[in-house]
Amino acid sequence: MSPLNRRHFLAAASAAVGGTAITTLAGCSSSDPVPAGTKTINHWDWYVAQEPWLKHEIELFQKKNPTIKIKRTVQVSDKYPDLINLAFRGGNAPDMLMIPPDPKFDEQVNMGWLRALDSHATPQWRGHFPAGNFFNGVNMAQNKVYSAPFAGQAPWLQLYIHNKLFKQAGITNPDGSVKIPRTWDDVTAAAEAITQKSRGKAYGLGFGNAQSASLPWWVELFVRGAGSPAGYGSDGPDYRVGKWTFGSDRNYADFIGLLLDWKKRGYIYPHSMSIGDEQARAFFERGRFGMIVGGVWNQPTWAEHHFTDYSVTTLPSPTGVPQAFFYYPPGGRVWAISQPSTVSDEAWAWFDWLHSPAAGQRWVEAGQGLSIFPEANKNARISSAPFQAYVSFQKYALPWPVPAIRNPEASKVVIPAVKPDLPDVLAGLYTGQLSDLGAALTALEDRRNKALADGVKKAQAKGAKVSLADWVFQDWDPTKPYQNKPA
Amino acid sequence: MQLLDTTTPRPPADGRGAAPPASPRKAGLWRRLRAARWSYLYLVPLMALLLTFVVYPIFGSLAYTFYRWNGIGSPEDFVGLGNFRQIAHDSIFWRAVGHTFVYAIVVVPVQLVLALVLALVLNNKKLRFSAFYRTLFFLPVVTSPAVVGVVIQLLVSNFGDTFNNWLLDAHLIGQPVDWLGSPKTALGIIILVGVWQTLGYNLVYFLAGLQTIPEEVYEAAKIDGAGRFRTFTHITVPLLRSVGLMIVILAFIGSFQIFDLVQVLTGGGPYFGTEVVNTYIYHLAFGGNQAQATEPDVGLASAASFFYGLLLISFSVLQVLIFRSIAKRRAAGRA
Repeated sequence: MSPLNRRHFLAAASAAVGGTAITTLAGCSSSDPVPAGTKTINHWDWYVAQEPWLKHEIELFQKKNPTIKIKRTVQVSDKYPDLINLAFRGGNAPDMLMIPPDPKFDEQVNMGWLRALDSHATPQWRGHFPAGNFFNGVNMAQNKVYSAPFAGQAPWLQLYIHNKLFKQAGITNPDGSVKIPRTWDDVTAAAEAITQKSRGKAYGLGFGNAQSASLPWWVELFVRGAGSPAGYGSDGPDYRVGKWTFGSDRNYADFIGLLLDWKKRGYIYPHSMSIGDEQARAFFERGRFGMIVGGVWNQPTWAEHHFTDYSVTTLPSPTGVPQAFFYYPPGGRVWAISQPSTVSDEAWAWFDWLHSPAAGQRWVEAGQGLSIFPEANKNARISSAPFQAYVSFQKYALPWPVPAIRNPEASKVVIPAVKPDLPDVLAGLYTGQLSDLGAALTALEDRRNKALADGVKKAQAKGAKVSLADWVFQDWDPTKPYQNKPA
Repeated sequence: MQLLDTTTPRPPADGRGAAPPASPRKAGLWRRLRAARWSYLYLVPLMALLLTFVVYPIFGSLAYTFYRWNGIGSPEDFVGLGNFRQIAHDSIFWRAVGHTFVYAIVVVPVQLVLALVLALVLNNKKLRFSAFYRTLFFLPVVTSPAVVGVVIQLLVSNFGDTFNNWLLDAHLIGQPVDWLGSPKTALGIIILVGVWQTLGYNLVYFLAGLQTIPEEVYEAAKIDGAGRFRTFTHITVPLLRSVGLMIVILAFIGSFQIFDLVQVLTGGGPYFGTEVVNTYIYHLAFGGNQAQATEPDVGLASAASFFYGLLLISFSVLQVLIFRSIAKRRAAGRA
């Protein structure tokens, strides 16, 4: 027998690799038959917590439409705008996409990224949705439909409460149930009790601000309760005056002062600035702190881990009665079909599927949020008490003014980002790098308002008929739904 | 007797039609180039990649520095030198420059001293398992800084409480420390991790340098009765000088390029407390390090990177001038 030399070894290895590849390919083709004429839709999204729901929808859709295959690519959410931009530039844009937050929707339409859906999204199709959900600047541009509303509205931030820690600290009602904090003082008292009674094992409050994400959520949730309608996340000024009011509205200074006091007293989990939101959620689940601010997206992960011993509330306020709420632009958009898609009919079928009341109902049942279809919310089987509580918070979300609906020219205004913005200023104040709270907030307010003025000036220079007055809605009462009307 | 020159062609007597005499230097250069043609051929692929992916982007992005541009579509908003003016007046940029220099100035000397000491120990032929130790110290170098950052971040957040409790029990701190979330400690941790992660490079360079020193020199010193310290200061250090200079230059270049470790560990925060120039540029170009989408500014980012490049070049020129002046003064002193 001849010894195995290098050449024989390489030949044998190539044969083995080739053989395996052929066998694998053969296996693929035999076990996964693809019907003739099958078309593939390239689908991009950034869903992670929502993934189980989406995968299930893909499965159901493909079963119903065996000649359409959905090839899903999940992208990193904060890099999504760059990736989609590169994809369009490189000529390999997905067929179905989540509309990125940047560039502006109208800009995406102007650049030919999005496909007008009017041939499919007929007035009859649009009639399935609740009235007042299709607007220029939201899901339409130049009176053509490019997207459709998907989710229903509820406060996007809530205060989560760890029942076990609350009970251990004695924060209970006479019947033994957890006493839900309603006021700023309730939150302070609960944080103090948990921190002191756990003897260093747990803290009252915690968050994960490593990505500068969650400290602004605390401000957003608490100042709204106190009556400041301009939040940060939804990124609109106080439309009553058409300006940001970080420095001139005392609720901001009052709450941030309270937050710094909580820190000073040792009520806040000390590594909150080092960890990310995902880690903070895991630490909350393990009982390292008693309260965390987050969205409904927290709930599916905790359900997966079989962690159910928590309660939820929203809009804690100084008096216990919220003075301002969460707001949303009417309409809404999540998905779109790309203009260059060569399988636009198939992509429409998938788009239509996702915007059906049945898919919406499954979305609610999966605990992902509310559907735009009221009947889907009503018919859904909800077994989780915190999710049921979230559904009941719908009353705290109201439509608010949208400058681009009153004056479509307003959509031509690009408000440049400011630096440092609210997340930076909060981190600076929290870590003691900024010591003058009032000065920091006033400077931030000035930066934001100057950015709006600069954006308007630039749009005017390009011929847009727009002014700062377009951001002022003197008839807006923040406690009531706003009826947006074209001028 | 006049010697016949057979190598240089003679011009005709009338001087017309004479080929210009080939410069001996040029001929020599051509001969050298021809002789080394295979070496140049081997260099071609690398040069092509270098020109395409390093040199071209540097000059290609120069045009963007004059525009305010979010990277989408074509740049149209011409601002002239406005971006450079903005960078020069941005206190966050200067903080980032400061942090980058602090990082380099702390990391390089600490790392070099540690690397040299370890190299001396590992170069000892009597040391057993020296190959194992070399591998152990070099392992962090081949580990991705992104992975290192994630692991350190998890360690700090998961064991931070325990560490804080030890320090509190020992009365070394009055209240728990947020290791990566406090501006007082975050940069220090990045520096520590930076020293640990790139120590292996310098260790290998020093080991290579030590192995070029002939054994006979040490034997001669031993015969002359030189002790360990004298051998180190009079033989090892002088003979390592040329390698050492290269190591210092490479270490500084590496330190000024710090990015991934900062980006993964702190993202430049809290409140720019660990922002270095490369993370600053990255955040400008790709829209910040926040959950909220912010408009990127590729033009401003390009201007910042050019501005920083010019700063580094000025710094290098200043360094060369200082070294030259020191060398001149020394030479004058000797004379």
